Amino acid sequence: MRIAHAAWRKASFAAAIALVAALALVAAACGSSSPSPAGSSSGGGAPIKIGFFAPESGFAAADGASAHDSAQLAVKDINAAGGVNGRQLQLVNYDDASDPKQAVTIATRLVTQDKVTAVVSGSYSDQTLAAAPIFQRASIPVLAAYAVNPGIPATGDYIFQQDFNGIVEGRAGAVALITNLGAKKVAVIAIKNDFGTSLVEGFTQEAKALGATIVATDYSQFGEKDFAPILSRDKSKGATGFYMAQYYSEGQQFINSWNTLGFKYPLVGTEGIDSTTQFFEPVGAKADGLVFTTPFNRDSTEPAVQNYIKAYTAAYGHAPDMVGATTYDSFLVLAQAMKTKGTSPSQIRDGIAATTNFVGVTGTIQKYINGQVVKAVDLQIIKGGVPRQYATLDDPQLITP
Amino acid sequence: MVLSSLINGIVLGSLYALIALGPTLIYGILRILDIANVAGLTLGAYTGLKVFEATHSLLAALVVAMLASAAFGYLLQRFLYRPILGRGPLIPLIAGIGVFIAMEEVFRLVFGPYPLDFPATVPLPTVHVGGAVVTGVQLLILIVGIAVLVGTWYSLRRTRLGLLWRATSQDTETASAMGVNTGLVIATIFLIGYALAAISGVLLGINYNTVYPTMGDIPAYKMLAIIVLGGLGNPLGTILAAMLIGLVETFVVAYLGFVLPRDAIAFIVLIVILLVRPQGLLPGESFGS
Amino acid sequence: MSYMIVVGVTVVIYAILTVSLNIIVGYVGQPNLAQGAFLGIGAYFAAVFSTRYHMSFWLTIPLAFATAGVAGLVLGAISLRLREDFLAITTIGLNFVIVAVFQYVPFFGGAVGIYAIPLPSIAGHQFSNNAFLTVGLLMLAFVMAVSKYLEHTWFGASLMAIRDDETAASSVGVPVASYKVIAFTLSAAFAGMAGSLYAPFLSAVTPTSFGFIESVIVLAMLIFGGLGTIRGAVLGAVILGALPEAFRFISNYRLLMFGAILLLMLRFQPEGLVGEGSVLVKLTRRATEELRRRRHKGTTDSPAAGV
Repeated sequence: MRIAHAAWRKASFAAAIALVAALALVAAACGSSSPSPAGSSSGGGAPIKIGFFAPESGFAAADGASAHDSAQLAVKDINAAGGVNGRQLQLVNYDDASDPKQAVTIATRLVTQDKVTAVVSGSYSDQTLAAAPIFQRASIPVLAAYAVNPGIPATGDYIFQQDFNGIVEGRAGAVALITNLGAKKVAVIAIKNDFGTSLVEGFTQEAKALGATIVATDYSQFGEKDFAPILSRDKSKGATGFYMAQYYSEGQQFINSWNTLGFKYPLVGTEGIDSTTQFFEPVGAKADGLVFTTPFNRDSTEPAVQNYIKAYTAAYGHAPDMVGATTYDSFLVLAQAMKTKGTSPSQIRDGIAATTNFVGVTGTIQKYINGQVVKAVDLQIIKGGVPRQYATLDDPQLITP
Repeated sequence: MVLSSLINGIVLGSLYALIALGPTLIYGILRILDIANVAGLTLGAYTGLKVFEATHSLLAALVVAMLASAAFGYLLQRFLYRPILGRGPLIPLIAGIGVFIAMEEVFRLVFGPYPLDFPATVPLPTVHVGGAVVTGVQLLILIVGIAVLVGTWYSLRRTRLGLLWRATSQDTETASAMGVNTGLVIATIFLIGYALAAISGVLLGINYNTVYPTMGDIPAYKMLAIIVLGGLGNPLGTILAAMLIGLVETFVVAYLGFVLPRDAIAFIVLIVILLVRPQGLLPGESFGS
Repeated sequence: MSYMIVVGVTVVIYAILTVSLNIIVGYVGQPNLAQGAFLGIGAYFAAVFSTRYHMSFWLTIPLAFATAGVAGLVLGAISLRLREDFLAITTIGLNFVIVAVFQYVPFFGGAVGIYAIPLPSIAGHQFSNNAFLTVGLLMLAFVMAVSKYLEHTWFGASLMAIRDDETAASSVGVPVASYKVIAFTLSAAFAGMAGSLYAPFLSAVTPTSFGFIESVIVLAMLIFGGLGTIRGAVLGAVILGALPEAFRFISNYRLLMFGAILLLMLRFQPEGLVGEGSVLVKLTRRATEELRRRRHKGTTDSPAAGV
């Protein structure tokens, strides 16, 4: 009886393994079904589906919310203005929870089930990198709103980066700190990820070219709270100017440490701190004098910028940040591309690639080179706790990736 | 620089000690690694912030935050942990992580994804010691830290509750057989452990002027490293380990820069020390004896 | 269809991780919260060698297996000095140390990670999602078969003896130390093998994808399904692995659901869904017993019938 039972169980397990193996064979036999040409010019009135994903839950939920809210606003505004060639845009939105595996399933779903015509990534580099090849293979154009990993545009000709290349922004930071603010011996404190490392690469090149000495380069982690030790250390090495490539949370702690130490040196930051609710308001006048590089000039007289700020603030009850602004811009670029070249994925791709001197909410896009945006870098200075226009860097040598 | 690093290290160590003390007491009595305790920390921070915004009283904020977290802790032990005791250490650990994940999402859904400021000013002066600066908030952390640590030491050594905690932590079954109401002792320890978490949460919020849904992530990992390093369930060991980690982190950054992520530093210290002393810095279940 | 297959590949990768984790946690009873790190080691070595040295996918499989295995061996050796909870936290710490290594060592691509990992090919054809699923299922079948084989060998019985009582096991001649180390090595090596599939499937690897949370999820899946059983390991991976996709319609509450389901399961069914002693398993056992008794009764009642 026991033996019989054991034998039965053994047999059933063998069957289970055989089943798994059989599933494998079935999967293999199914073969790859050729992906249907997604969104191929259906009738005039049908909405145009735009795929979107962002980290709306998990640790990056704040950026996910900014991106997602701006995406919704952009689609609403474009539709209110008559849509594209009489057709409305339809947002197909997914939360990737900051998980690259989910980005892969989302990308597949957007391509094969939702059959979207174009995609905006409102997510970080990890997720955008994992999703990009799927869109490239399906020939669906993608605009990465603010992910800066160099591997994203390198994926192929359908993948575009809406935000500055990190090298370009780093160079601009060096010009700001050395040329504009006159620092000669500088220390770099950057976040240890693709954003921080590519900024540092550009900064270091340009700073050396401008004749400055870099006395120290240090990388901190997400969630770093205490910058006083590293700042003291840099001071003891003779640093008289500082480059802070941090995000807003870490930037806020950086400014706390900076003030505790009573530092008055020239200080340059990046778009990573460009958030009203998460940096300018909590930090207030403590960061006065800080200059930072950003594509988002709130003092711009362009109606697009002021309309976006007004509409966003009215809809969500707080001021927009840079992450939201580039997301919003991505949709404007898509709409523009559709209007000029047509609404099929390949036409949209061509339309994005042919963009010239397009005025968006994050400055004027001169063109895209190898999928990377070319636009002037704005320098903003914090005065009385508010970011103000300081200078614009538009030297073609500097801003061409 | 040595002096200011020393002060920064001690302040950081005091924060770590406050965070890790509750889970240490709980480990001592139940032998579970209570990651959910850090959800109590974030709950305390949010509660404290909301009360502070309404009353502008730091004291009221602290008291209500402690009550809220303590109630949360009581419910957890009553309805989650006690029914699954005796299932080995992994089940309560993963259940606690489930609570931790779920609560982070609750905070995001209730209070929004964006960090909130905690604009409390501490009624303490900024003190200059030699070339070093101690801010009012740092002073508050030191004072609260010392008060809590002395209070805990006193409670464990001199009160009936402390005697019961030690008896239960050494041998639950015998203590129970000798008439100790272990249920009551466990409940009390959770009330205290979660009230301590609330204090840590409010202090973290004020010190860094920010409260956000995932503010418990880093304290959670750090707390685990510290209570293990301290010998698991040994409050004195935990305090020593917290100070050690706080000082090592600060001095490494001050003299070598950000050579490694702080979390990696804490765990490398832990692994190296455990390889030499597998029982941690101090053996468990003894408090100053 | 394609979407379901992609979800399937994710689930299968998780299942390889849970079944392999079961060897060390389920059979030997050693806590291990570092399975995500071993996945990462396998994925990273596969990524580096396929992008930088143009190694074929098929060669990266044994490479990922071996490198993660070596890391498992080191953890196994460390584990010999530490008792339960000390070991649990040490394995948690390992995640942070490994992520730091990925971030700081240029060989692993630093903070940018490694991208543009080529699609594997077979007989000149690039992998489709179906091919990923096929290879994944074959890997899973292999890991399941090895696990099942272990259950019936002296080695496997010894591992369970170590779990039940280490001193007793060693007194009847089980070489506790070396068996533990072998089990850690094997468990990690299988996770590394899953990494060799993960890397080309995602096309990019970044340091933070292999942190503590990934390891927690894998262990949670195993405990959810039923610690100590292969069926539990697979079922846990299938259910919790598909959960984020199944709950897309309540996008904003998915992670909350994950946490809530996990803690409710552990609170009311700590044996897991189909672990030994779980309600489901008891019910099925009772039902099959009942069936067998009835059939048995039927044959004894009418002995002369038929032939």
